[in-house]
Amino acid sequence: MTSSFFGLQTSLRGLLAQQQAIDITGHNIANANTAGYSRQEAVLEATPAYLIPANSANNGSGAQLGSGVDVASIQRIRDQFLDLQYRAQQMSLGDATARTDSLDQAQTAFNEPSDNGIQAQLSRFWDAWSAVANAPEDAGARAALVTGAQTLTTTFRAVSDQLTTVAQQAQDEYDSITGPSGDVGNMASQLAGLNRAIGDAVVRGQQPNDLMDQRDALIDRLSQLAQVSVTDTGDSRLRVDFGGVTLVDPSTPTGYNWPQTLTTPGGKLGALLDLASPSGPALTYRSQLDAVARDLVTSVNALHTSTPFFDPAGTTAATINVVATTATVQTGSTGAAGANDVAQAIAALRGGTTDQLYQGLVAQVGTQTQAAETAQATAQSLSDAVDSRRQSVAGVSLDEEMMNLMRFQRGYQASARTMTTMDDMLDTLVNRTGKVGL
Amino acid sequence: MSMRVTQMMSANVMLRDINDGYDRLTRLQDELSSGTRISQPSDDPYGTSRAMGLRGELSGLTQYQSNVDDGTGWLNTSDTALGQISNVLQRARELLVQGGNDTADQTARNAIADEIDQLTDSVKQEANVQYAGKYVFSGTSTSTSPYQLGTASDRYAGDAGTITRTIGPNVQVPINSDIHQLLGDGQASGDNKLLDTLRDISDNLRGGTTADADALRGTDLQRLDANLDTLNEIRADVGARTNRLALATSRLSGLQDNTTQLLSDTQDADMAQTITQYTTQQVAYNAALRAGANIVQMSLLDFLH
Repeated sequence: MTSSFFGLQTSLRGLLAQQQAIDITGHNIANANTAGYSRQEAVLEATPAYLIPANSANNGSGAQLGSGVDVASIQRIRDQFLDLQYRAQQMSLGDATARTDSLDQAQTAFNEPSDNGIQAQLSRFWDAWSAVANAPEDAGARAALVTGAQTLTTTFRAVSDQLTTVAQQAQDEYDSITGPSGDVGNMASQLAGLNRAIGDAVVRGQQPNDLMDQRDALIDRLSQLAQVSVTDTGDSRLRVDFGGVTLVDPSTPTGYNWPQTLTTPGGKLGALLDLASPSGPALTYRSQLDAVARDLVTSVNALHTSTPFFDPAGTTAATINVVATTATVQTGSTGAAGANDVAQAIAALRGGTTDQLYQGLVAQVGTQTQAAETAQATAQSLSDAVDSRRQSVAGVSLDEEMMNLMRFQRGYQASARTMTTMDDMLDTLVNRTGKVGL
Repeated sequence: MSMRVTQMMSANVMLRDINDGYDRLTRLQDELSSGTRISQPSDDPYGTSRAMGLRGELSGLTQYQSNVDDGTGWLNTSDTALGQISNVLQRARELLVQGGNDTADQTARNAIADEIDQLTDSVKQEANVQYAGKYVFSGTSTSTSPYQLGTASDRYAGDAGTITRTIGPNVQVPINSDIHQLLGDGQASGDNKLLDTLRDISDNLRGGTTADADALRGTDLQRLDANLDTLNEIRADVGARTNRLALATSRLSGLQDNTTQLLSDTQDADMAQTITQYTTQQVAYNAALRAGANIVQMSLLDFLH
């Protein structure tokens, strides 16, 4: 036999459960725009039934009287498989973005096509030799040639310097991210902290949804930098392998291990290492520019036989240097004032190997930058697509929350009405029964 | 199954679309304001290297044209001087015929000899003509005058060097003429060239012997005529080279037009197309903005009261 007040208890459970569900809806709405937040859902469960002796006279069996509802747990709605996909895409996006940025910088260093790039200055250099060939007696034409050649070599050196800087910046960025107070270290220590907090909560039988969201958001960020893989070591504590080494390990005292050397860096860090290396694009371009400078020096000096025009030792873009002066510029193979065969032969180098090497180099820079931009755009849209699917599962829909709000509000109202009905019944029982004869 | 769509998703998609639209709009705007399709190599790597090659070619053509102009000036100067020398020679021939005539007495012959000496100086003066401060008939010794005026020396002071102008890739045209083969080194060398001839004529006129008179009517006249032939050959050669340069000018300007056109086709924005694209893009962008403003703010919230 159940108590007279049994129904009040059932209604109360209903009120409390609906209220909690409304609280959760409020939490979802409040976090509708929080990055990395997964929507939460109250898992409502009927409370254990109460065994009542019903029909026991016939077969001795009882019946189960429902005792109401309870919030069994608060669940985080999230698809771990989509997280894996998202992180894989983030890694290639990090790689492509770092490459595009660096190649863009390298491309800008060349400043082509323009009226001030190496190509335009080479043209002016050949023009100046033609002008000298037309007026070999004229010291003014020779002075203009020497000045023009110096401007050309300065530009070679400037482009070479900028390419070196591009590679150096990639190295600096790598060092800053992986340094003792860099992003990786910070995230690792935060992850270790979250691991401890989550583990402690889980041991106590709680589900720390928001902490898990924070941890997942950190792992998302980490996945841009290098290959990340995650293993649950028990009690929802995660071991995080990063770039081939174990970065976060709940079994160690500090919970993480950094700095260390990545064995298989992918993502942004892998790209940065590649961009900074001598075989990376910036330094490859620089050595190709060296070949252009070397070709210019040797081909001009081979014709300018009296004294070298360019310093024969300066055969890189960084060291190319004009040693000829207005007085030592050689115009002809004889000493005659009007002899111009040498000047003409040098002017005839126009459009030759030097120009072609340089044009080939610029075309290569353009092609590789374009390819990197395309790869970046592809990685971006793939990553966006996975993110959309993830958002579709985990994101907060205000329409849905509004529906839930209405649902739970009505549930609350109805539970309150049940309670009022119970109260009315008890009123009848307590205040109106047994009054016969009074 | 249809996808569950959240407000943040549609806001993100909207933002991405608006960003993409604005990016495209900016690129088109850049094309319109700069007039070129290629602002950096990655816009069109092949077009970039082609445009760079064409620019180099164009600057080469401009330089060849200026070489041609310079060479033409040089040849015109030579031609004028050779024309003057030709006039002088005609006059010398008239005088020679006059002086060789038996009716001329010695006084008259001496006067003619004086004029011949003057004419000799005129020839040397014409040979010393300058173009832009350079002696055009000195070979490559352009700062040395080829002949000294007066009777002190008739020796050629220049050299046999050739001066050329480049009028195209590996095409060189000599612009100086060898005046030495016409004027020679004077009487001392006995080379029968113009200066030798004129000096001999002058001597024969003054000599007064029968042999002198015979020489005036015979060998001197023949030698002068031979010199005139040489002069005409040189003038014809100068004329031919002037024509060649004139042809080069018209060829170069044709090439310049073609190359400019090619360069424009390679790197310049097609204005009609770009403006149309720009307008279309602008409409799309405005529509995206308006839709964004309308859609994103709507939710069930607006209908619950």
